[in-house]
Amino acid sequence: MQTTRTHPRLSLSKREALWAYIFISPWLIGFIIFTVGPMLASLYFSFTDYDIVSSPRWVGLSNYINLVHDQLFWHALGITFKFALVALPLNLVISYLIAVLLNQNIAGRNLWRTVYFLPSVIAGVAVALLWVRIFDPKFGILNPFLEKLGIQGPGWLSDPHWALSALVIMSLWSVGGNIILYLAGLQGVPTDLYDAAKVDGATTWQRFWHVTLPMTTPVIFFNLVLGMIATFQYFTEVYVITNGTGNPARSTLFYNLYLYQNAFRYFHMGYASTMAWVLFIIVLGFTLLIFRSSDAWVFYEGQLRGR
Amino acid sequence: MKKNLFAILSLLVLASVLLSACGANAPATPVEKKKVVIFVGMGTGTDPDQVDAQNKLAEKFNSTHDNIEIEFLIVPHEEYATRYLAMLSGGNAPQLVGPNGISTVAEFFDTWEDITPYIKADNYDLSDFYGPAVELNQYPQKNTGLPLGLYPSYIYYNKDLFDAAGVDYPTHDFNDKSWTMDKLREMAMKLTLDKNSKNATDPAFDPNNITQYGYDDSWDTMRGVLSTWGAENVGRPTTSDYKTAIANSPEWVQGLQWRSDAIWKDHFMGGTEVQAGRDAAGVDPFGPGTTAMFYSHTWFLAEGLHDLSFSADIAPFPYNPKGERIARIDADNFTIPKDAKNKQEAWEVMKWLTSPDIIVEVCRIYGCIPARKSVQDKFLEQLKADYPGIDYDVIFKSIDYLDNPNNEAWIPEWGKIEDTLNNGLSLVDSGKEKDATKVLNDANTEVQQILNEYWAKHQ
Repeated sequence: MQTTRTHPRLSLSKREALWAYIFISPWLIGFIIFTVGPMLASLYFSFTDYDIVSSPRWVGLSNYINLVHDQLFWHALGITFKFALVALPLNLVISYLIAVLLNQNIAGRNLWRTVYFLPSVIAGVAVALLWVRIFDPKFGILNPFLEKLGIQGPGWLSDPHWALSALVIMSLWSVGGNIILYLAGLQGVPTDLYDAAKVDGATTWQRFWHVTLPMTTPVIFFNLVLGMIATFQYFTEVYVITNGTGNPARSTLFYNLYLYQNAFRYFHMGYASTMAWVLFIIVLGFTLLIFRSSDAWVFYEGQLRGR
Repeated sequence: MKKNLFAILSLLVLASVLLSACGANAPATPVEKKKVVIFVGMGTGTDPDQVDAQNKLAEKFNSTHDNIEIEFLIVPHEEYATRYLAMLSGGNAPQLVGPNGISTVAEFFDTWEDITPYIKADNYDLSDFYGPAVELNQYPQKNTGLPLGLYPSYIYYNKDLFDAAGVDYPTHDFNDKSWTMDKLREMAMKLTLDKNSKNATDPAFDPNNITQYGYDDSWDTMRGVLSTWGAENVGRPTTSDYKTAIANSPEWVQGLQWRSDAIWKDHFMGGTEVQAGRDAAGVDPFGPGTTAMFYSHTWFLAEGLHDLSFSADIAPFPYNPKGERIARIDADNFTIPKDAKNKQEAWEVMKWLTSPDIIVEVCRIYGCIPARKSVQDKFLEQLKADYPGIDYDVIFKSIDYLDNPNNEAWIPEWGKIEDTLNNGLSLVDSGKEKDATKVLNDANTEVQQILNEYWAKHQ
């Protein structure tokens, strides 16, 4: 005897959609609880005076107005911009050049690739502690090396004029991640393009400039966006090196460090949430700008370009 | 009949079971112990040997108390703020927190319970504590805890370096008024050597190649460094109503200029670069034997007076230019978060930890001088065994010269003002700005602005 169905059978597409939601639900639930929830909470806190211990008190736009008048906010933003302006292009260019070299047919190529990638898998805290030793004027290895070249090395992390530069140098430690992506991009460039260029009499430089570079712009674009976001979120290394102070003389007071200080040292959680949202808007703005500009310089093979 | 017999037998069996359950040999219904979690990590207490000792202390307490059970929750020091705040905001506040320095009490000032009602309710006798130790926990708004330990400060000196330089040791006589900051400077310059063994008073001295420093006071904050100079509010950068910034007082300017000159003009003290080098090498200023005098606290005994390759002693801190001796002090206590459950039990545990019978044992774990006068002799014996050959009088007498208001004591926006002032210290130590007047005027403006914002919200 057949049982009577009380609900109409779902169509195939609906069933597929249902199963899709079931399969992604663990991630979706986690995303809602651990990302969307805190984001919405921080948006609410950004309009409150909240010291963690007491209940949040609604203050409207006060935190946003105070932020504009906070000199340290501008100082920290300036430090972060300075760092981003130097460290980000330097990282992109150096990692690209290394990737191009590692893409050549050289002896021990795989070993070199591993060697260059390895540093980027080391945790930020360990990297920071390592570089503190390298930069140490007396016990480190950098200044004695410079001395052999006749250069008097500075107090890298103790001199306010040099501390930010030291962090830029340190950031190059993690170019391995970019290198791997560039390598993947470089290996994806069709060889027939190089063959055609050769037939046309293009030099090595011309092949690089007119074939390699345009064909890898999607990877450069990807690294640029992620690198920009990571640079604006720079925190761990500077927190470890300066013990959370941003010293010497506030020369390394990055935006996120100041945000952390407001949240967990001064207990201005509402104000820190405001800072987080302002940073979000800044990063979003730059990301949109990069996306808008991509039409002019990113080339996707197979993309129908209307020009 | 059979049915009745069965019923009677059943009742008898049941009754016997019930009676035996209520018999003399039956275990008594256990009284539920109330839990007191002690949050450790704000300061000392996280080293493995300290963890073991604290666990033994917990066993000792738990085996002698029927109604309370204690448990030490050890948190890595670098995570203390986030962990403590997470517990508070999650409604899971620990019952006791400590040992806290004065600074961490200040950092989380609003979260502590006022223990004054508990003291009054028990008519608790505070007379056995050193008077200043009680005062250090007393604020206009609240009493944060019973005193546990004190860490007075004095000069640690390397006798071998003094002997080699032919310089007399600093006096141990607390009444010797000739022992001043000028005298210390003079002495320190003679004890500062370059790689050619020229001292800092020699015109041929090479300040770029210093191998030995005469003096160091790099392990403290701006307030700590300047609290000894005799300003109106000693270690506090505000007036007593906390509304006006006075960080640029003449005494503080004089003290900071003295430090700036010590680093950049007289060269007997290392700046940021030297300090960072030591940190990178994982050494303290005194241990390597390249600093003749180091100004620090009693906690440095445990940290730095072991396995020295030279002979060392301690001397009182000098008189300031106003003819006063102020030797900054650190202190420890345990505090009760006001949102904690079982606060009465937490108070009982606080009393136990600071009781005459236990306080020496607790202070041996944390390296402090017990805050009770009655156990001084007992503690002195221990001190003699652990650190033979130093002048113990200097330790105990220095307590009388403590900085009050204390250099770590609470002020509004404590963390923000501390960071502002320490930025000033960093400017001087790094050599970015050597003019103390400018540094402290700028800092004072910033502190006043922070105070104004605070009071605008807390009318």
